Amino acid sequence: MKNTLRQVFHAPKFVTGFVIFVLILLTMFIYPLVNPGNPLEMIGVGTFAKPGIYVSMYDATNTSMETLRLPDADDKRLDKLLSQTDRVSMIDWFDATGVDITGLDLSDTDTLLTLWNANYDPTVKPKGMTQAKRNYFKRLDASIKQINASDTLIVSDQAEDGTLTEVRTISKTDYVNTSQVANVKALPLGTDNFGRDVLKELVSAAGTSIQIGLIAGAVATLIGLTLGLLAGYVGGTCDDIIMFITNIFTVIPGFVLLILISYSIGQEQRGASVVAAVIGLTSWTWTARSVRSQVISLRNRDHVNLSKLSGHSLVRIILTDILPYIASYVVMAFILQVSSGILSEAQLSLLGLGPKTTEVPTLGLMMNWAMLYSAHTNGSWWAYFPVILTITLISFSLNLMNTGLDQVFNPTLRD
Amino acid sequence: MKGYRKYFGKKILWFLITLIVAVILNFVLPRLMPADPVAAITGKMAQGMTDASAVQEIYKRYEQEFGTNKSITEQFFIFVRNILRGDMGTSFSQYPRKVSDIISSAIGWTICLQLPAILVGWLLGNLLGAIAAYIRKGFDKVLLPISLFLSNVPAFGMAVILLVIFGVTLKVAPIAGGYAFDMIPNFSWRFIRSVITHYQLPFWSIVLVSIGGQAVGMRSMSIYELNADYVKYARFLGIKDRKIVGYVFRNAMLPQVTGLALSIGTMIGGALVAEIIFSYPGLGSTMYAAVTAADYPLISATTLIITIMVLVVTFLLDIVYGFIDPRVKAAQFDI
Amino acid sequence: MGKIMLEVKNLKTKYVTRFHEDVYAVDGVSFRIEEGKSLGVAGESGCGKSTLALSMMGYYFPPLHYISGDIIIDGTNISGMKPDDVRKNILGTEIAYIPQAAMNALNPTQRIIRFVTDVIRAHDPKADKKEIRERAEARFAELGLPRDVLDKHAVELSGGMKQRTVIAVSTILSPKVLIADEPSSALDVTSQKMVIKMMRELMEKGYIKSMLFITHELPLLYNVTDDIMVMYAGQIVEKGTAREMVFDPVHPYSHGLMGSILVPEEGTRGSKLTAIPGTPPNLKKPPQGCRFAERCKFARPECRYQAIPETDFGDGRMYRCLLGVDQLKEEYSHE
Repeated sequence: MKNTLRQVFHAPKFVTGFVIFVLILLTMFIYPLVNPGNPLEMIGVGTFAKPGIYVSMYDATNTSMETLRLPDADDKRLDKLLSQTDRVSMIDWFDATGVDITGLDLSDTDTLLTLWNANYDPTVKPKGMTQAKRNYFKRLDASIKQINASDTLIVSDQAEDGTLTEVRTISKTDYVNTSQVANVKALPLGTDNFGRDVLKELVSAAGTSIQIGLIAGAVATLIGLTLGLLAGYVGGTCDDIIMFITNIFTVIPGFVLLILISYSIGQEQRGASVVAAVIGLTSWTWTARSVRSQVISLRNRDHVNLSKLSGHSLVRIILTDILPYIASYVVMAFILQVSSGILSEAQLSLLGLGPKTTEVPTLGLMMNWAMLYSAHTNGSWWAYFPVILTITLISFSLNLMNTGLDQVFNPTLRD
Repeated sequence: MKGYRKYFGKKILWFLITLIVAVILNFVLPRLMPADPVAAITGKMAQGMTDASAVQEIYKRYEQEFGTNKSITEQFFIFVRNILRGDMGTSFSQYPRKVSDIISSAIGWTICLQLPAILVGWLLGNLLGAIAAYIRKGFDKVLLPISLFLSNVPAFGMAVILLVIFGVTLKVAPIAGGYAFDMIPNFSWRFIRSVITHYQLPFWSIVLVSIGGQAVGMRSMSIYELNADYVKYARFLGIKDRKIVGYVFRNAMLPQVTGLALSIGTMIGGALVAEIIFSYPGLGSTMYAAVTAADYPLISATTLIITIMVLVVTFLLDIVYGFIDPRVKAAQFDI
Repeated sequence: MGKIMLEVKNLKTKYVTRFHEDVYAVDGVSFRIEEGKSLGVAGESGCGKSTLALSMMGYYFPPLHYISGDIIIDGTNISGMKPDDVRKNILGTEIAYIPQAAMNALNPTQRIIRFVTDVIRAHDPKADKKEIRERAEARFAELGLPRDVLDKHAVELSGGMKQRTVIAVSTILSPKVLIADEPSSALDVTSQKMVIKMMRELMEKGYIKSMLFITHELPLLYNVTDDIMVMYAGQIVEKGTAREMVFDPVHPYSHGLMGSILVPEEGTRGSKLTAIPGTPPNLKKPPQGCRFAERCKFARPECRYQAIPETDFGDGRMYRCLLGVDQLKEEYSHE
């Protein structure tokens, strides 16, 4: 046993997979300690806030300020205010009004602005330009004018009767230290469509999904193991009946059964563990088959015969003379079941048949929400890509472990 | 010849038995529902209605439609008879369209998308796996982890990634539908071109996902075969490596046919979900629509059709395999 | 003395394990076989017999590696040749091989005639299909094999038939040297007899000119081959005519090995069956002195570190032991 374990932990593939999986598990345990709270809490009011660090503007204006004279501050401000689309639109205007722009560089903000201020005239109606487009240029001009506006902003307090009292003047050279600001929130993966912290949700969802995988794997392995042992060891009619059932359920796609059962259970009854159990119920056939064939090859070995002659009970023979020999196969089958269980949950959720949506997030549900709110077409990659990556990494690590074990126990596959 | 007949007989018998079990399951499972489905559906349909007798009327109508007022055996025979007639009831969500009508307009899309995609993925995967097994050192070290990683990207994930890269960012392919939304299916060139451009992303996302799994399987199989005694023997008789590699790949490839037959059920599941991502007008999207709208007759029919499709493909692959692999011939036909 | 068909001079080869350790499985083996003669190789499993067979082919692939020595077939030294030339000009035509597990030596998905065609074409790419078939049919008939075997797949043949087919295919190009690695060990008695008869016929009809026959079954060697050599831990410990080796072994190991069998002939010392205790040495680090010393009943202290000379009687008989013939005979008489 010790020797086998040492061999297993010397297989590079297994170790790689194991390390990835353990890292995922550690994140699941440690992250909630760092960032506690309900993962389903809707902290954002809008949908899909971008990943980044959020600083409270209210608090920032009330924080003591330092004056910093940074030489490139103006340029940066300009670059941020004037988006790439705005620049392209400006070129469009120049084109339409016949301004010579040879040698103009789009990133050269100064020249662009000088040209604009010199040439833009809201009364000109270039040929073929729609009213809407002209209005757009008016708005653009207004915001460009703002760039050249005064150096200070005034923050004022509004009294009940509407009078404004100046609280503070903010100039372009005022800076606050983020550590001084009372409320700064890091959202490394932004928020989702409901305004929930995606990273927190993802960590919690990965945990639930792994739990679903483990339950599904345990159920499938238990059923498969029991049936496989009975069929292989007892043989005869018992074997015939079990194999008849197994053969049928090998061909009937488990996914379809899963859909039928999940639908029949109904949304209300579908907790995460129920979904997990159903997934397990529809995916035991492979384990049953491989356990059976292993047991058949073991059935007539000397040590088993010896046990039989010594009058040991069926249970004892199976536990002491058969199980230890097929343990490696069972473990490998279990690992595969876990990974396919996680995948099944995700697919089921995407069909709208996943676990009840109000209790816990799962990877599948997160994916489903992202798709329902078109995260993929509106550019909110943080809502779906980390989910896909997490599912892939979990199942990649599990499959690597499985391949590693396979190479230890099936020497022909060794490199 | 007698052996062949026996083999086919056995296979056909199995096919029929599984088909019957599938139909029974399709009938029984939804009826294990703890709540009264008709009441639930009536509740949905009668939302906002205050007139009790009108609600009662709706309830009666669905009871009639479902036949839930009859005994369970009677219901089953009606169910089977209707299936044989190709009548699967009326859709709730697209009332008064017939379910069989909806299914028949979707099934073609699914078959034309998934069958070629799975086959191409299978072929490419086997090729790559074989190359990886043959070259081993270096190439194998790069290709195997990539294939393993790729094979673990879920089909829907691959679909979303392709959609975002090629559809949304690069804008080289349309992102939804089976053809441009402003068209009516016909046989014009414009329509066919539209179908082909819409075909690309769903097709390649299914292909890419199936490549990975097949390549990994084929690699193990080929390595196993490359170590077989006949390889050594053929080498010692002076046969060229290229020829021997031919033997090996043929032998490794043949069991992959069974592998395909056995995994097609799982692959279809993933591929159906990929359809949803692309709003491809196939069975996957139909099922999704049905689930969302709680359209019970449509769900039941879609699952049944998918099961039958998988059964037929598995059956055909089994038959083909029996013909092309002499190992099966020897093992099966003489029994 | 006849023409020398095969001469091996001080051949050394090694295995490289997964952990990059060298295993010196054939460590300085020399012998020769004359035209029309056969030589048997005996020894426990793991003594390097099978590795010797593989090393003789002059065609090495991992994990087996050539170190040094010469293999001369009918005057041509093949050990320095390029692998490609060996494959093209030597394998199959000059030297042929019958593997240990003939059960799996034939590609299961190929008809025998196709394989024969591949073998012949590997050396004569332009060979005509019809001629090949005629040639194969004639040879198969000559060796008492049914003609319809040619059109069957390997899986359709019985064990004995497979082995005979392998022998027929191996010798289809009438090689000068045939190396047979346990060709009959896995068969039932009847099949064994047929295989042995076939090997004799091959020699008598001139389809092969010399043979190296490897087995762990000593009685078989006595019946089949002219000479016998005994291998231990990668080296030859004794060599002589079959009769000498069985009735008058000199080396303590051969003595023990012969003592452990029953030879069904009058006058043998079969009355006493003795097994040799202990296991062969680790070939990753071969012992300095006599490799058998650990297990030898008659070992002297110096046996363990002193280089052991070969004692050659000049008539093809040799043995490798520190003790003289008389000393050994003296020891045996006390048993």
